[in-house]
Amino acid sequence: MSKFIKLFYFLGIVSLLCVRSAYANTEDDSALETYNRAMFNFNTVADDYLVKPVAKGYRAITTEFIRERVHDFFENLKEPASMINHTLQGDFSDSGNSLGRFAINSTLGLLGTFDVASGWGLTKNKTGFDRTLASWCVPDGPFIVLPLLGPSTPRATVGMAADTLSNPTYWADYYTHFGDKWEGYAFYYGITALGFVSVREENLELLDNLTANSVDPYATVKAAYIQNRLKIKACAAPDEEQTENSYDFDFDEEFDE
Amino acid sequence: MKKILAVLFSAFLLMTSNAKADINASKAENFIKDVTKQGIEELINSDVSEAEKKARFTKLFNEDLDLDFIGKFVLGRYWRTATEKQRNEFIDVYRKLNIQTWSERFNEFRGKHFEFLGTEKANSKANDQVYVNTQVPMPEGAPASVKWRVKDTGGKMKIVDIIIENVSLAITAQKEYTSYIQKSPNGIDGLIKDLKAKLK
Repeated sequence: MSKFIKLFYFLGIVSLLCVRSAYANTEDDSALETYNRAMFNFNTVADDYLVKPVAKGYRAITTEFIRERVHDFFENLKEPASMINHTLQGDFSDSGNSLGRFAINSTLGLLGTFDVASGWGLTKNKTGFDRTLASWCVPDGPFIVLPLLGPSTPRATVGMAADTLSNPTYWADYYTHFGDKWEGYAFYYGITALGFVSVREENLELLDNLTANSVDPYATVKAAYIQNRLKIKACAAPDEEQTENSYDFDFDEEFDE
Repeated sequence: MKKILAVLFSAFLLMTSNAKADINASKAENFIKDVTKQGIEELINSDVSEAEKKARFTKLFNEDLDLDFIGKFVLGRYWRTATEKQRNEFIDVYRKLNIQTWSERFNEFRGKHFEFLGTEKANSKANDQVYVNTQVPMPEGAPASVKWRVKDTGGKMKIVDIIIENVSLAITAQKEYTSYIQKSPNGIDGLIKDLKAKLK
């Protein structure tokens, strides 16, 4: 197992151990808030000076057609994770759908660079281990900011690490370089880095817009991330849907303490 | 006969609307249909100049969004302690900043259209608010969900919140501003000053 994966498991497990609250929308405790803000600032600097310029460079040297092929290639690599997790969630027809998509797109779709399966009625239906954990009633935990990867929660981190294990490029390197030092995983790291840049390029405008006029970008990103997370269907809890946006605008009494 | 029926029917409508202060959900939905059709789909895809687009968008924004109401909410508990002057200044800069933010963003909706999925009760003491559920089909994957929180302000419908992919603009802004004020040594005045600096 590469150091990369080990790190993520370590991070995930450590964070799960310190979960004190069942939901991510509770207030930060001050130590976590201090860490989160520091990491958020670090990520912002890294983004401004490294990731964003690379993403812009990538946009400059590629055409939209090429970027779409790269995007489809990476999306296809996630199909095995979707297949496994649909099964774990008991959605067997969705699992078959992912299997079919992966088989068709990896071959006829030229290593996934073209999504031909969608045209045949097998539309994309992504899922991952994070959603599986949610369906098993695993709580999300508090909001945490990961180095370079940004906003997350303990459950999302564990989900991401587990999904990495079902990424075909990881296994391709694992088998061809079994027992090697980390240099043996150069292919995998290279592919991962390209995927990272590709995702960043797709979100250039979105992230700029989200924080452009914010006086506290950390608070904005945190609030938006937590609300968006609540969209993930958790186990049971029939009134979950209702509580997510059940705030009352007649707030005068609410703050009357 | 038809006339009499029509008169009776309108009398009935008047009675029910008087008897019940609850917001009329289908009226709210029609209001959002108008806003999305004229305000977004037609405006963005029309051939008028960018300046004209911005002017029309500003008008729409001022007429159809209840920014006094939203501004009050986003300041949260600090609204209560704010002076009249601070309140007015905040609402003013909040309005301008929102128009600026959204007129930069509205091109995100270019070529998109809204599908209507019915309405849903919103939590409000006066029962004067309702959610209008819509979705926007995306080039790939699931459609993006856009919920409009509509308030009946004495017959005129106004938007009081927009919830995109479960992210409420009002709640997000409230977290941003209250978090800022908590940390800022200059409180609300500091916030107003920094918001003004964001205006172009």
